[in-house]
Amino acid sequence: MKINAGNLKKGDFIRYQNDIWQVQKAEFYAPGKGSALMKTKIWNVKSGKNIDVTFKSGEEVEVVDVESRLMVFLYKDNENLYFMDEKTFNQYSIPLSAVSGLEKYLKEGEKLYVYVYNEFPLSVRPPLSVRLKVVAAEEAVKGDTVSGAKKPVTLETGVVIMAPLFIKAGDIVIVNPETGEYVGREGK
Amino acid sequence: MKINVYPLNLENHCYYLFIVKIIEDFLQKKGYLKIDLPVLSSALIPESYLEVFETKWQYFGKEKRLYLTPSPELFLKRLLVYGIGDCYYLGKSFRNNELPSSLHSFEFIILEFYKVNASYMDIADEVLEMLRYINKKLKRKDLVSSILDKCHKKEDRQEKIFGLEINLNKWEKISVTEAFERYASIFEKELFDHRLFLKKAEKKGYRVDGFSYEEIWSQIYTQEIEPNLGKNGYPTLIYDYPKEFAALAKLNPDGKTAQRFEFYINGVELGDCYTELSDWQEQEKRFYQEVLRRKKQKKIIHSIDKGFIEALKYGLPYCSGIAIGVERLAMVFLGLDSIKKLKVLDISL
Repeated sequence: MKINAGNLKKGDFIRYQNDIWQVQKAEFYAPGKGSALMKTKIWNVKSGKNIDVTFKSGEEVEVVDVESRLMVFLYKDNENLYFMDEKTFNQYSIPLSAVSGLEKYLKEGEKLYVYVYNEFPLSVRPPLSVRLKVVAAEEAVKGDTVSGAKKPVTLETGVVIMAPLFIKAGDIVIVNPETGEYVGREGK
Repeated sequence: MKINVYPLNLENHCYYLFIVKIIEDFLQKKGYLKIDLPVLSSALIPESYLEVFETKWQYFGKEKRLYLTPSPELFLKRLLVYGIGDCYYLGKSFRNNELPSSLHSFEFIILEFYKVNASYMDIADEVLEMLRYINKKLKRKDLVSSILDKCHKKEDRQEKIFGLEINLNKWEKISVTEAFERYASIFEKELFDHRLFLKKAEKKGYRVDGFSYEEIWSQIYTQEIEPNLGKNGYPTLIYDYPKEFAALAKLNPDGKTAQRFEFYINGVELGDCYTELSDWQEQEKRFYQEVLRRKKQKKIIHSIDKGFIEALKYGLPYCSGIAIGVERLAMVFLGLDSIKKLKVLDISL
């Protein structure tokens, strides 16, 4: 379906230069000379790359119908992540390059939304937060009471993040998988 | 549409009003006369790059079409013809078909001031002085403190220091031609030749089919030039635009460019200045070109301000004027990322 670039909004999937991209940001802009424009930041579903593109507001952009389907994350290898659609038992693979580091925060058996276009899996919708168990954390050094001080902790998926000093091995921490930032600790 | 209230923005709003006051202090000290003007007009200057709001005045079963002014230019220039001298308007202006964004609002505060016997570069000096004046006042703790008293209880207010950390002692000056060469690798020969320009744009990956020189030019300017402006430790003054982008500006002797500049801080366009075109025949010719463009773009066909041409015939003194987006200016000085954060109330979708 073709739409006027002026109607683009965050979340839309578009075809641009033969690739499929998701709109991360779309803002109207009238420069006071020439015509109005739509400034966008778009994300390539294959490479995970972000670029800035300015569309003329009268320009037609092809919006593609991408479905997000709930699937179970099975496992990963050096190249791909493998998912299964629980309804059809079909398996899908997504290259690591498309998820830009998200795989470091995913546990096997977790359910996630996978973007599918024409039965072809494109990428994974990053969850807002993930809950992961701390497997190793150093004891905080006494006397180090600077507020906001952080230390590295290792999570069950093997990834190391910076967490507050009071976090111990065995705690469940909440992490933003897009930035790798500590968000909070799950209550006991 | 709905009415939204943002009480948490009260502090920003107070700072914004403080900046407005500083601006007015500066202009009055410099001898500019403040003029209050109507926002409704029966006719407008035709400008192809913007759309207007149309309304009706009704009386005893009769109707007159009226338009909200997209800028105070048509009024102030008439007054200049009558010899009012250096003057300014600071108030509401309206532009239709503009989606609210971090830098746009269909209803906004414009500062427009004119200086007689001055070129656009004289205005540039004046603007720089104004920026320094705003910055100096914003850093005065005693002045800022009295604003905070109004929107906070003493015990829960935080000391903040505002103002820009960039050097306001000089402009980073760059011509449009130099900017296209430096940031987009488009050379002078290509910039002014429409055919070569479109060919170059296509090579760069822009979609040019069915689009005009002006449209592609704006796209490249926004995509490749603007993000670099006002980011080298100084505010940037970018000057001498191709004549296609200056419906009311005086042309340079080269015949290709017009005496127009815009200024930027941190990639944000804040103001637009011309040496005013005073040749009425040339102005009339450009009016018709703009009307044709508006028709082609299926824009509202509004009454044309013919009195404006009549006034020019009488003689507009040699002068220059600038329009500044006051909310954007305040946004930049307060380190905010959107003009919405200055508002305690607005109307949105």
